[in-house]
Amino acid sequence: MGHHHISEVNDEKYIFTGRSKVIVGLVFVVGLILTFIGVNQIKHEDAHKSGAANVEEHAATNQDLPVHTVGMQDDHQAHGDESHAEEHTEHAEASHGEEAHGEEEHAEAHGSHHGPSWLARLWANLLLNSYYFMLFAVGALFFLAVNYAANAGWSTLLKRVIESITSYIPIGILTLGLVIYFGKEHLYHWVVYLNQGLDAGQPGFDKILAGKDWFLSSGWLLIGVPTIMIIWWVFRIILVRLSHKEDEQGGLSFFKKSVIYSAAFLVVFAFSFSVLSWLVMMSIDPHWYSTMYSVYNFAIAFVTSLTVICFFTLYLKSKGYMEVVSDEVIHDLGKFMFAFSIFWGYIFVCQFLLIWYANITEESIYFAQRLTPNFKWFFRSNIIMCFALPFLILMMRNAKRHPKVLLVAGSMILLGHWLDLFIMIMPGTVGQSAQIGVLEIGLTMAFAGLFIFWVLNNLSKRNLYAKNHPYLLESANHDVGV
Amino acid sequence: MFEASIRQPLVEGNKSIADVSNDICAPIENKPTKLWWLGFTLSFAFLMLMVLSLGWTVWEGIGTWGVNKTVMWGWDITNFVFWVGIGHAGTLISAILLLFRQKWRMSINRSAEAMTIFAVLCAAQFPLFHMGRVWLAYWALPLPNMFGSLWVNFNSPLLWDVFAISTYLSVSLLFWYLGLIPDIATVRDRAVTKARKFWYGFFAMGWNGSARTWHRYEIVALILAGVSTPLVLSVHTIVSMDFATSVIPGWHTTIFPPYFVAGAIFSGFGMVLTLLIIVRKVLNLQQYITIGHLDAMTKVVMLTGSIVGVAYLTEFFIAAYSGVVYEQYAFLNRAFGPYWWAYWTMMSCNLLAPQVFWFKWARTTPWFIFMLSIVVNIGMWFERFVIIVTSLHRDYLTSSWAMYSATITEVGIFLGTMGLFFTCFFLFSKFLPVINMSEVKSIIKSRE
Repeated sequence: MGHHHISEVNDEKYIFTGRSKVIVGLVFVVGLILTFIGVNQIKHEDAHKSGAANVEEHAATNQDLPVHTVGMQDDHQAHGDESHAEEHTEHAEASHGEEAHGEEEHAEAHGSHHGPSWLARLWANLLLNSYYFMLFAVGALFFLAVNYAANAGWSTLLKRVIESITSYIPIGILTLGLVIYFGKEHLYHWVVYLNQGLDAGQPGFDKILAGKDWFLSSGWLLIGVPTIMIIWWVFRIILVRLSHKEDEQGGLSFFKKSVIYSAAFLVVFAFSFSVLSWLVMMSIDPHWYSTMYSVYNFAIAFVTSLTVICFFTLYLKSKGYMEVVSDEVIHDLGKFMFAFSIFWGYIFVCQFLLIWYANITEESIYFAQRLTPNFKWFFRSNIIMCFALPFLILMMRNAKRHPKVLLVAGSMILLGHWLDLFIMIMPGTVGQSAQIGVLEIGLTMAFAGLFIFWVLNNLSKRNLYAKNHPYLLESANHDVGV
Repeated sequence: MFEASIRQPLVEGNKSIADVSNDICAPIENKPTKLWWLGFTLSFAFLMLMVLSLGWTVWEGIGTWGVNKTVMWGWDITNFVFWVGIGHAGTLISAILLLFRQKWRMSINRSAEAMTIFAVLCAAQFPLFHMGRVWLAYWALPLPNMFGSLWVNFNSPLLWDVFAISTYLSVSLLFWYLGLIPDIATVRDRAVTKARKFWYGFFAMGWNGSARTWHRYEIVALILAGVSTPLVLSVHTIVSMDFATSVIPGWHTTIFPPYFVAGAIFSGFGMVLTLLIIVRKVLNLQQYITIGHLDAMTKVVMLTGSIVGVAYLTEFFIAAYSGVVYEQYAFLNRAFGPYWWAYWTMMSCNLLAPQVFWFKWARTTPWFIFMLSIVVNIGMWFERFVIIVTSLHRDYLTSSWAMYSATITEVGIFLGTMGLFFTCFFLFSKFLPVINMSEVKSIIKSRE
């Protein structure tokens, strides 16, 4: 408002200085060291515990899994037989109920049955972080495509930042692919179950899991998931290449092509992201299902990637780059963060409310496991951090134009959704002993270091603005109006 | 605000401010055309059919409908959800597109908002008359009373609906009327007859067009847009919960709320297209409601249709994946049971048909869009029919399985609400400016 008209955007180039590299590198290295310390700490605790606990439990090995799976089925049954009107909350509150704690015991046992608990915890955290940072990258690609498809002009100055975030996709493919390949036995108990190759009538046979083998199969998990991510990568390469050519040659033809590829990507994304979220995340609890699950994952991906875009932009501005990106553009980015925090809240409530209201045991078990004494504070903090705080903070107009306030609200969003994934992954992998300790913090730092290094490095390779984009000046002269 | 040169003008024909007033006030100031009379008479006849059918229902009882103990919701609730859904485009255009600064909404928001209000009026008929004793309809409100234990059930999503839809109607009505005030004042100021001067003067509420009045007007409009935005989501979310909070296979699925909202916007835009393609032709407004507008709206139709399509496939997939035999049966029964024709009509109209809008020709050819918009309306009606009837007609007890088909009375009521809808719309297009003149004047390129 009130600023003079900008008729030309000067080229800028971000320099990834040696000092910045060292700092980001340190985050990575310190993260790794902390991870190592964390693992040792858990090993130490395990050794301590196993001295006190019974020996048979500890002697159990992977071969015992079928029995364990039967245990789970029985628990389900037992759960179903109880009248369950108010039981879930009590279930969570009661500390030493007998039959009500079947699930929890199961989950505890789950961790130790798979081998040492530090291993289960390490794999679960590797999955969490691989998935979390991949969501940033693919969420940014989605935002890029939406802007093309919707003919949006305001965000054009941020295009290179967005593209650089998508450059993490290959790393995401690598980390997520490796974690799934090598950690599948620790992450997905249906994989272990299928490896047993049980037939109907044999002890440990699980009718439900057996009925899902057309989808919950290593083919889908080990070939389907990487294929989906590679398709995203291909779209990323195409869109970035078109953007390059537009920079060099100008003209509208690259823009028009980008619109077409973006629209195609959105269609592909809608289907492929759903399938990926079912395989990578929902199948951690393979008996459970929810049609909203993929939408829920999408909500996480979108709001976190908007926040990451905002953070990188604010960082660049604080270093003296991107002067031309006015408060108006930042304001609109803040509005998007605000809106999609609400969207996440909406999707959360719809899923939770409908499952809670209908109270069908097979469905409500999911929340029962997440409202236990161990998880209930994570669960509550999640809602506060992902919805309540961003909603209240970002509601004010000036908050969306103030870097520090955006940083606070955005940190809530990012930490909140990390916790969100923690709650989604842990009960089915680590079990009720899941905690946030040195290992969790260290590994997340290591991934963050890698992610930031990769993105900034990519950013330093090209101009900061897509100089021949037809909407560049719209973005430079953007005005939110009211 | 700066605009890139590749953006097309939103209003064509190099209009001046005076042209806008002249063109859009013309239908109000001139005698209605023969075509208008024809359409109005026809609609009115159908409205009378509604009065007749509803009268018969009240006189003889709900037994005149085809609903039975198993399929206790039939055409009535199908039509209710159908009409509520239609209304959503109006709110989306006036609220969400306003927040997204989509200025193309300015030529279409007035008629879409009017459509919202008329559609909600149509929708309200069905639950009211389904109660059987319609004169006790006020029992749906939590009114203090002397009837002993008579009190509403706040746990019931049906009651949530009462609140959601009445809020929706009041906010939409306010929003619509607020936007009309400056335009009604324009008609008042141009009036040549005394009656017109008096009535439009009355409804213009003393609008004087001063900077201060405009300032207040804009603030109120923005606040109402903010209030309406959650309403777009909430109304159909609550409607979907009428089904999804139950334990009936095919109804109880967590994706219902956003999927119903997308479907509502889809059907709403279908109806907006049907109406506006007629309006722009009959009232000669092609330069205001341009091919560019149709293009943008068909894109929304394609997007929301595809979202609904993804939801259909997700539901089908999860039913198969769930391992719950009842879920699996419900979906197989939809696709291959006795109501298979309804299911495949829904699939082809909602998921497949809108995909033609990937082609520019399809998005820019009015007669073709008109045909497709009717296909969308049909598809969305069938979606509600499929959800309601096929999920109900075969429940857990095979002994209570039943079939359902509508009676002539139910058909009469449905066609009758079409009459109500179009009668209202014809009256609106005669007596009120169908395009928001004051907003359109702010976006014409040849502005002095």
